[in-house]
Amino acid sequence: MLKRLFLVVTVFLLIGGLVQAESIRLLMESVPDTRYIQELLPQFKAETGIDVDMEVISYIDMHSKLVPQLISPKGSYDAIVVDFYWVGEFTKAGWLMPLDDLVKRDNFDTGVYVPKLIELVGRVDNNLYMLPFYNYSMAIIYRKDMLEDPKEQAAFKAKYDMDLEIPKTWDEYWKQVEFFSRDTNNDGKTDMFGTVIQGQRGDCISMQWSNYLYALGGQYNDSNWNPTLNSAAGVAALTAYREALQKFSPPGSESYCFDEGFNVLAQGKAFSLQTFNIMFAGFEDPESSKVVGKVAITPNPGGGLNGAWGWAIPKSSPNKEAAWKFLKWVESYEIAKKRALLGGAPTQTKIFVDPDVVAARSYYPILGEILAGAQQFPVFTYTTQLVEEMGRELNLAATGEKDIKEALDASAEAFRKLLIKDGKLSK
Amino acid sequence: MRRVVSAILPHIVLIVFCSIILVPLLWLLRVALTNKLQAYQIPPEWSIPHIRNFVEIFTVHPFSDYFLNSVTVAIGSTLVALPLAALMAYSFARYNTGGLPLRLVTLSSQMLPPVILVLPLFNLFLKTSLLNTLPGLIIAHVTISLPFLAWLLVSFFEGDIILLEQAARIDGATRLQAILHVTLPVAAPGMLAAGLLSFILSWNEFLFALILGGAQASTLPVGLSSFQTHRGVEIALLSAAAICAVLPVFFLLPFMRRHLIRGLSLGALK
Repeated sequence: MLKRLFLVVTVFLLIGGLVQAESIRLLMESVPDTRYIQELLPQFKAETGIDVDMEVISYIDMHSKLVPQLISPKGSYDAIVVDFYWVGEFTKAGWLMPLDDLVKRDNFDTGVYVPKLIELVGRVDNNLYMLPFYNYSMAIIYRKDMLEDPKEQAAFKAKYDMDLEIPKTWDEYWKQVEFFSRDTNNDGKTDMFGTVIQGQRGDCISMQWSNYLYALGGQYNDSNWNPTLNSAAGVAALTAYREALQKFSPPGSESYCFDEGFNVLAQGKAFSLQTFNIMFAGFEDPESSKVVGKVAITPNPGGGLNGAWGWAIPKSSPNKEAAWKFLKWVESYEIAKKRALLGGAPTQTKIFVDPDVVAARSYYPILGEILAGAQQFPVFTYTTQLVEEMGRELNLAATGEKDIKEALDASAEAFRKLLIKDGKLSK
Repeated sequence: MRRVVSAILPHIVLIVFCSIILVPLLWLLRVALTNKLQAYQIPPEWSIPHIRNFVEIFTVHPFSDYFLNSVTVAIGSTLVALPLAALMAYSFARYNTGGLPLRLVTLSSQMLPPVILVLPLFNLFLKTSLLNTLPGLIIAHVTISLPFLAWLLVSFFEGDIILLEQAARIDGATRLQAILHVTLPVAAPGMLAAGLLSFILSWNEFLFALILGGAQASTLPVGLSSFQTHRGVEIALLSAAAICAVLPVFFLLPFMRRHLIRGLSLGALK
């Protein structure tokens, strides 16, 4: 009797296991795009019958959460998102599954993506490891009401013999930064700032200073990976950065990061800010900004720093086929467009100029332009270490504690050592 | 005059020190009742407070889940750790089990940085399907609190309490009866203090909860950190969430004051 009962229970359990709905688990970062996808998930469930269990955590915790999952032979995430910082590390460690076979089998068109994003968070050494999920390239966000003010325009023209208009060159932008840095209440202290420096060591300063480097014609390395950031352009970029910190940016901005920079401009105390394009939506939100309707975004002269996340299927993924189904769905034109309509950060070329998207959000074509001209930060196994080491040197130089050339030489040397360690350069 | 000064001066000193502790908490409350724009305004602009942030964390964000998970894990791990720790401590105190080496070994897990412990635990949990489950997190938190509690409780079972226990034995009590009716009641303040500490340890724990938890088993500290986004810190929501996270411990404070101080500072006998 007992045996029979046992048999029945076992059979029930087995059947239960078989008919249980298929489900996948994702690890995502807490950004608006994640929320938009969550809103669209019922459609995926209706189309495929697959449940999606989405775990959402903050950026700073993601790496420590991911690594134990990726090193074990079988993890619990079917698909993950990868920041461009980690692309070198994750692919070199062999944690991500190449997607080439699946792309070929299902005729998935990767030509829809902005080519710069496929370079950044897609292809590594001729293998496709990721599909670009969203981008956060850097640009100049500025006060268009100040720029369009006839009085300011006349004063600017009188002072510089130049029209006050959307900056196309570094020289124009720099003059505007100087022009709008002023003491509005005559107490002897500047209280309207031309720009906001984000000088905190590490990520914040490295990302922002990159825009200065590109604008002044510098690059991190040549095509053979030889570091070139300590070139004359690099020195000019860091000199300008130091000048901005001392004259055109709020006191204390040597320890600012993206959030502090955002708040200065959002409180109406600065003319411009070089920051991530995804920050723009925040300036249009009356809950967080005093300058709603008064700001606009434009490309950094010489191109801004490109940043992006990519979808990947880890080798430890328990259900790769279902994960791929999800990737194909979420990256289909229909869903990518819906996400853009909600305010997401697209990665496909056509979305930026889609008539419906442009009708809903008129600045999207400019975002496309920013992305098309964006420059790539060196992506290799030790990108994170480079950011840390260079970030420290840049901060020391910007605050005047270290000579500019010395700091850049030290950064270039640190970069060289990391490249040698990675096998990109020989000793 | 001197009397007035001696009456006022201590209060001034106390007010200064209390302010140092209280002002940040009150500021947190202010930010929780406003929005991001006003939170960062200098000079501060005062407006009618609203509770939208509190509503949002419980409706848009799954804060009630985080809260429930935290309560379950904190109470669960305390209920598991406390009896085990009491037995361990009793055994150390009465039988000197394992001598000093074993006592030190018990502490060894506390000497390592937690990140070293979390990786092997991760592998074990992965194999036993405990990852991303509340029982898994409870076990993980027990590994943190157990050694600590055992050490804390040893002192309560040592000392003059042995005399009481011996007296009970002479009066005919069995060892178990002596423990239940004499030792435990006398050591109760210590047990309570240890329980509260265990609760707070688990309540605040982040690393284990982050790595071993998941969508189904995220606790409050992990939930709080998710307000630090790529687009900046959601300061108003974060403050509202932090206020909610502080509340349970805040309500435990009166108990803490009564029992923890007594528990930590005295032996057993009066």
